[in-house]
Amino acid sequence: MAAWGCRFLRLGDPLLRGTRFIVSRSAPTGESSVLGVQFVRTIKSTTWWDEHLSEENSSFLRKVIPEEYSSQTASMLNPLKDEPWPRHKWEEGSRRVGLVALKMGMMPIWTKTGDKRVVTMLQVLDCHVIKHLSKEDFDGHTAALIVGGKNVSPFYRSEEHMEMFRNAGVPPKQKLTTFKVSDNAIIKPGTPLYAAHFRPGHYIDVTAKTIGKGFQGVMKRYGFKGQPASHGQTKTHRRPGASGPGGDPAKVWKGKKMPGRMGNVYDTAFGLKVWRINTKHNVIYVNGSVPGHRNCLVKVRDTIVPTRLGAAQNPPFPTFFADEDEELPEDLYDEDVFQFGEPSVSLA
Amino acid sequence: MASTARSVCTAICSLRAFGGKNHRFLSTSLLRLAAGGESDQPPKFMPPTKPVILDSAHKLPVRRFLSPEFIPPRQRTNPLKFALERKDMVKRRTTLNIPEFYVGSILAVTMWDPHASEKTNRFVGICIQRSGKGLGATFVLRNIIDGQGVEICFELYNPRIQQVEVLKLEKRLDDNLLYLRDALPEYSTVDINMKPVPSSISGEVALNQLKVKMKPKPWSKRWERPKYKVQGIRFDLCLSLEKMEEAQKWAQPWLEFDMLKEYDTTSLEESLRQELQEEASK
Amino acid sequence: MSMQVDMAQVRRFGTVLTQMLRLPQHCTFSVSASAAAIQKMTRVRVVDNSTLGTALHHRPPRVIHVYTKNGIGKVGDRVLLAIKGQKKKALIVGHKMPGDRMTPRFDSNNVVLIEDNGNPTGTRIKVPIPTHLRKMEGEYSKLLAIAHRFV
Repeated sequence: MAAWGCRFLRLGDPLLRGTRFIVSRSAPTGESSVLGVQFVRTIKSTTWWDEHLSEENSSFLRKVIPEEYSSQTASMLNPLKDEPWPRHKWEEGSRRVGLVALKMGMMPIWTKTGDKRVVTMLQVLDCHVIKHLSKEDFDGHTAALIVGGKNVSPFYRSEEHMEMFRNAGVPPKQKLTTFKVSDNAIIKPGTPLYAAHFRPGHYIDVTAKTIGKGFQGVMKRYGFKGQPASHGQTKTHRRPGASGPGGDPAKVWKGKKMPGRMGNVYDTAFGLKVWRINTKHNVIYVNGSVPGHRNCLVKVRDTIVPTRLGAAQNPPFPTFFADEDEELPEDLYDEDVFQFGEPSVSLA
Repeated sequence: MASTARSVCTAICSLRAFGGKNHRFLSTSLLRLAAGGESDQPPKFMPPTKPVILDSAHKLPVRRFLSPEFIPPRQRTNPLKFALERKDMVKRRTTLNIPEFYVGSILAVTMWDPHASEKTNRFVGICIQRSGKGLGATFVLRNIIDGQGVEICFELYNPRIQQVEVLKLEKRLDDNLLYLRDALPEYSTVDINMKPVPSSISGEVALNQLKVKMKPKPWSKRWERPKYKVQGIRFDLCLSLEKMEEAQKWAQPWLEFDMLKEYDTTSLEESLRQELQEEASK
Repeated sequence: MSMQVDMAQVRRFGTVLTQMLRLPQHCTFSVSASAAAIQKMTRVRVVDNSTLGTALHHRPPRVIHVYTKNGIGKVGDRVLLAIKGQKKKALIVGHKMPGDRMTPRFDSNNVVLIEDNGNPTGTRIKVPIPTHLRKMEGEYSKLLAIAHRFV
């Protein structure tokens, strides 16, 4: 029964009734009562999370758990407040943790000289530190912090996966990323992270999966030149051309650029300036475009571009603590940004 | 005395007659004065009642207008994004008065220009296009100056803009007047020193039924094609009936029945209007 | 009957054409479309009052070289013209292709003839020119001085 009947068991009451109806129509003689039910051999190792729950109970859980999670994240409380980890001062060469943010879209801003810049809005949504990996646990060179963003349903998740979040005392997250941090920048798991972790004027790197373009030719995928459109050219206009030398290697070198799946790979935009921070909705306004489609989750960290390292002197370290640090205004602007509400630009 | 009373009566009558024509008129204490004139006693001084301005235009409700860039595009974007943009737009509108205007209205825009003499640049022209949503909204003004057609695409929320004046508020038959590029130049010529034409804040916006004559072909676009839905061109002057029928080959009449393309913004507009009113009253 | 209708249309068309011809803006040739701003073989309109630019010729002035790295000329770039069978340098002062927001776009591709040293050949520019040309004040101050209107 365990091996054969699981699909049958999953069918709820109404479905079963429907099946019977179909059966009775297709086989009015009633030779086999389960003719219409499809039997599939599956290996049944786990149970559905609501397998032994009544319908009311499962719908209740579906309703109450998101509420609980949202209230938990809204309260801004660190559930493991009991014994905070020691905090260190920022010094040259420290590497802070980063954030997981949601790409909202783009909008224009203007500088105080009237020049236009386009910015991408990244919303830091339910971002928490999930786990601390010590030097030995990680790679033997540096400590790391696992950070998660965007609360999701706890159902359909494996027990091992849930355990990590339970230890941190936070709801399960849709995206987890690892940040290498210096030893003085480690944060206790369960700490919420906010957009004010970065400040206007800082430079950041944003990593995300690019938009998938499907199977593409070499002209789009690698920018090959293709062949001429005219001048007697027939049959080939966008083909790769030769794929390497002939007789001597007598093979095509490994890594030859060829048509194939394009996009849907991790990509990083380096050295983007933070123009503005909204502390109420936790939105970072980042210069230019970032990889990924709208509403995708991106990884944001302090830049590694050497020329931009000096911009972030004395950042909130190891992160911005909403319940302890100073009260911030709703919007933080870079000094070059025109703030709406000021009079129109008119410089001498 | 009676003559004065009569004159007053005629004055009232004329005033009434006048009132029908003129929208605003004053109801003063003339009637009371006339009543005093009937008896032979010298008219006792009575403090004149406060003049009440009856404005028949007030009977019409003030025109409700929502700038089109407030309506978010239909896409799967977090509504918070548009809300944040709206907040900035409202903030900008507290310092810069962006009046109500439509495609076809005549506008004068003053912008700060570091290269211009006196550092400001005033451009007068007819609005031929409004596009963009949110903070990136733009509008295009067109004019013919010294026989040279000039267009400027302005960003509505650019801080360089110092003043936007509506010189003439009207609508045209189309929502996009890009075909003025191919029309005779008199249709896009606007006097640079034009005086503003007053317009009421109630009732419907005047619709200019003007249909333009075009230059001979070739045009920048084939305006007779159904996808442009151009109403404001005298096609009978420049195209034969056969050509007009030929253009109908590109018609896609089924598209108007495509329910997936419908984007009903009436309820959205209502909620936006309320939100903006609340913020304005703050 | 149809003949009559046709005749009427032709006559109306004729009136439109004469109106067009009366207008000062009308040029005798069509200038290139706005696919790229100004490149080689673009037909342009000379907008100063130099004798070379105003004289009628059966062939419109064409750009035969653009002095930029990518071969595309925008406002403020120098070009080499083939005009009346001679080669002549010119400065682009407006094009059909829209540039940045808040800058003017013109209905024709306008150039002003200049000598090799940057001085204008004519003595007057007949049409408005964009203000952001003033960024090149030092190089073309004489040209900017003969412009009578900026937009």
